[in-house]
Amino acid sequence: MLEVSNIDVFYGKIQALWGVSLRVDQEEIVALIGANGAGKTTLLNTIGGSLRPASGNVMFLGKKIAGLALPAIVESGIAHIPEGGKPFPDMSVRENLEMGAYPYRAWTRKEETLKQVYHIFPRLRERERQLARTLSGGEKQMLAMGRGLMSKPRLCLFDEPSYGLAPIILLELFRVIKSLREQGLTVFLIEQNVRHSLEIADRAYVMENGRITSEGKSKELLQNDHIKKAYLGL
Amino acid sequence: MIVEILDIVIAGLLLGGLYALIAMGLSLQYGVARVLNISHGEFIMLGALGAWFLFGFGVNPLVSLAICGPVTFIIGFLLYRTVFTRLRTSSASIGAYEGSSMLASFGLLFIIQSIALIAWGSGIKGYTYLAFPVNVGGALFAANRLVALAFAVFLGLVFYFFLVRTRLGKAIRAAAQDPATAGLMGVNINQVLALCFGLGAMMAGFAGLLISICYPVNTTMGLEYTIITIIVVVLGGLGSIPGSFIGGFILGLIGSIVTYLEPGLSLAAYYVLFMLLLLVRPTGILGK
Ligand SMILES: Nc1ncnc2c1ncn2[C@@H]1O[C@H](COP(=O)(O)OP(=O)(O)O)[C@@H](O)[C@H]1O
Ligand SMILES: [Mg+2]
Repeated sequence: MLEVSNIDVFYGKIQALWGVSLRVDQEEIVALIGANGAGKTTLLNTIGGSLRPASGNVMFLGKKIAGLALPAIVESGIAHIPEGGKPFPDMSVRENLEMGAYPYRAWTRKEETLKQVYHIFPRLRERERQLARTLSGGEKQMLAMGRGLMSKPRLCLFDEPSYGLAPIILLELFRVIKSLREQGLTVFLIEQNVRHSLEIADRAYVMENGRITSEGKSKELLQNDHIKKAYLGL
Repeated sequence: MIVEILDIVIAGLLLGGLYALIAMGLSLQYGVARVLNISHGEFIMLGALGAWFLFGFGVNPLVSLAICGPVTFIIGFLLYRTVFTRLRTSSASIGAYEGSSMLASFGLLFIIQSIALIAWGSGIKGYTYLAFPVNVGGALFAANRLVALAFAVFLGLVFYFFLVRTRLGKAIRAAAQDPATAGLMGVNINQVLALCFGLGAMMAGFAGLLISICYPVNTTMGLEYTIITIIVVVLGGLGSIPGSFIGGFILGLIGSIVTYLEPGLSLAAYYVLFMLLLLVRPTGILGK
């Protein structure tokens, strides 16, 4: 479904990604794990269209999307839930969700999708009229996820959804991410929280210093000595 | 006494409605498109002189609204797509862009004003439209003032509901709060910014036209309005559209009271108010 081949990405003259390749299949949950500064966000921004690769290619549903303008990428069915969620602070919860449905194909069906999102996150329905700035950290992340789902995506890109959240809320959100598959969605998740992401993912990639250094089934990576030592503190 | 108060209040509301319209336009240009547009007053002048020019061909000013509005919108939109988009993409930071775009708008002021001077000269211009008196609770008003007030409030409300209710209006507000994240929603940011600049110019054009219905106008009228607009926008809280609306009416009413007490002092009173506000509440009435 998503295929990243050999991309190099630069900030000015500084290279942040080096020949990164990976693949996400239909209805898979794939995690990319790595320490702070490894280049995870850079990779997600490149797939989502905010950054352009200097070389290499990104294919989605058989079409080249590298270099396309952002609106076209969103329209093609990719939802990018950014680091920290970033809800619009001076809009209500409901308006934030409506903004998620901005692409035309989603806008016409937004009432129906809104019901589904409220079903997944009843807390958002309770806070419907509240300004997003008044929400707790966990609620903001729920809102960002709900807003992403409002665009009726085929693929969801999550940038560190666990960041700064209390453990209970984190588990709740990860349960929701895992359940997205049942609705036909595909998930690509980048995380520093290695244990929890490997528990919900089918496969995972490890990124270090802008390069993919290992990959495999999540279960196998959980047993891998290097990963145990470097990321799980065992 | 009652009649005098009514006199001041209606005159203040009219002035306030015009200020509100103009300030909402600048709020959009500054709050979203990040251009502190010093040439804002020139679009007011274009609306005013445009209506006067068309009146010479027998066009009803209210019909001219439907001509001057779109024309000022298109000029604003194209200016943003050419001049300001280029400045934005070549600026290192948003702060640098705010500086360079303000300077560019200074240049625009002189260009637009010079063209208008060449086309229409510097003389004072006016026309008579709906000048008969109307009795409101004992006070007499020229019908044109009441029509201008009604249109200013109507256009302000239409614009407000556009921002609050429509898909595009929501996209504009989202882009004002966080342009990068609005982009992730699929909003075409370049287009939205140009749209905001164009809409701001259109509000100025509308206001200029309504001014020309009530007062004499000339090609150098713009700068004073720019200054008043900046005061209103700061008063309301930089970039806050409802703040601009409220701030406009407050300044209009104060202007009307001061003019009643001592005509000629209103601009000075605005400055005093502005200074006091900066001392007491630097973020404006609805600012954060
Ligand atoms: N806007 C930027 N400009 C310059 N360098 C950046 C920028 N964003 C990230 N970087 C650099 O790129 C590298 C990867 O960063 P990032 O993708 O944010 O990592 P991660 O998300 O894994 O923490 C880091 O060295 C970071 O300093
Ligand atoms: Mg990151």
